[in-house]
Amino acid sequence: MRNLLNFLKKFGNVLLFVLLEAIAFYLLASKPNYHSIKLSKTLDATSAFVHEKVNHATDYFSLNEINEQLLSENRELRNAMQRIYRNSEISTFSVTDSIYKQQYIYIQARAVNNSVNKQKNYITLNKGILSGVRKDMAVTGPEGIVGIIVEVGRNYSLVMSALNLDFRLSARLSKNGYFGSLTWDGADINHLNLSEIPHHVDVSVGDIVETTGYSAVFPEGITVGTISEFDVSGGDFYDIKVKLSTQFRKLNNVYVVVNLKKEEQLELETEIRGTR
Amino acid sequence: MLNTILKYTGLFILLIAIQVLLMNNIQFSGFVNPYIYILFILLLPFEASSWLILILSFITGFVIDLTSGNMGLHISATVFAGFLRPYVLNLVSPHEGYEQGDLPGLKAYGFRWFITYILIIVFFHHLTLFYLEVFRFEYFFRTLLRVLLSTGFTVLFIIIIQAIVIRR
Repeated sequence: MRNLLNFLKKFGNVLLFVLLEAIAFYLLASKPNYHSIKLSKTLDATSAFVHEKVNHATDYFSLNEINEQLLSENRELRNAMQRIYRNSEISTFSVTDSIYKQQYIYIQARAVNNSVNKQKNYITLNKGILSGVRKDMAVTGPEGIVGIIVEVGRNYSLVMSALNLDFRLSARLSKNGYFGSLTWDGADINHLNLSEIPHHVDVSVGDIVETTGYSAVFPEGITVGTISEFDVSGGDFYDIKVKLSTQFRKLNNVYVVVNLKKEEQLELETEIRGTR
Repeated sequence: MLNTILKYTGLFILLIAIQVLLMNNIQFSGFVNPYIYILFILLLPFEASSWLILILSFITGFVIDLTSGNMGLHISATVFAGFLRPYVLNLVSPHEGYEQGDLPGLKAYGFRWFITYILIIVFFHHLTLFYLEVFRFEYFFRTLLRVLLSTGFTVLFIIIIQAIVIRR
């Protein structure tokens, strides 16, 4: 007994240290990191509330910029509409075909908390389950991609920003459709890396990179950015740096994209995989 | 005793507030992320027992984790720092040893002593923190650079905070 006490006296703090570290690693390893939802709902509500208030105050300073963004987005949309109108003047048609059913719905949300200085950045949005936001939905800004929803609460949701080492997205060159995989290397918040584009493809600086829509998360053709530099690495593939069109530092208004046909696509895909 | 507890509770809240409201908003290309809340662990009295330091480290890390979204990250780094503290204090102890009732602050045993003491602990804290955050060897040197730069800034801010805010 005395030996045990002596042992505890001598190594008690080491044992406590190991125990506490074990708890820490357990917490670290248990994914999704939405601290707040799992661990303390009240703290989440207060911290998100505070962030929202602060945001509300600071919003006024960037009103000009936000207006500018929305105006240019409106312009794009009007242009797109113009094309549609012209088409329908030539040949009026009414559609009942299932092909023309709406596939995407956009939910407008605001980033109430955002970080760009970590290696794994997350963004908090002020819309949650009650507004129809679900896990694995895409998030885009007026200028391009933003991230993917990883956790949802009742009134708030957590987005894995594109500036996150765990972020993966398939993207393609808009001019010829060759696609590769898009990741962030943690160094520069204005650039992502596009890999797996083979050597024989014609690539030049300034080419537009956009999403593919293969994953059923992002719609097809959402802008990622433009190629700022590329390099022929040792292998058979290019090392391409893509300048992001979204300004993550100034993120404010975003859209959560609901894919109405996601279930169908995933169901079909798992079915095929199952039979093979 | 009660006085001490109140004093440290105040210090705790102050440091967490500085960390969350000011330091977390420093956005300097992701390379400089000062974590000054570690000062709380550094400033605990000399005679605080090691298990108390470990428990307080755990709580501090937990609170910071709550505000940052990566549960467990700051806990592990801070507990490690708290574990190292008695050994580091031993290592840098002045010839005549520590006096009871002193705080390991800027004014206790001179500037050089304080710098060495906080530099070692802050470095190991940041080392654990940043490598756990990245959790891969791919960006080894870049992470090391982040550790070194952030350590420098944390130490700088700690000295500023010590000099201005806490006059005890």
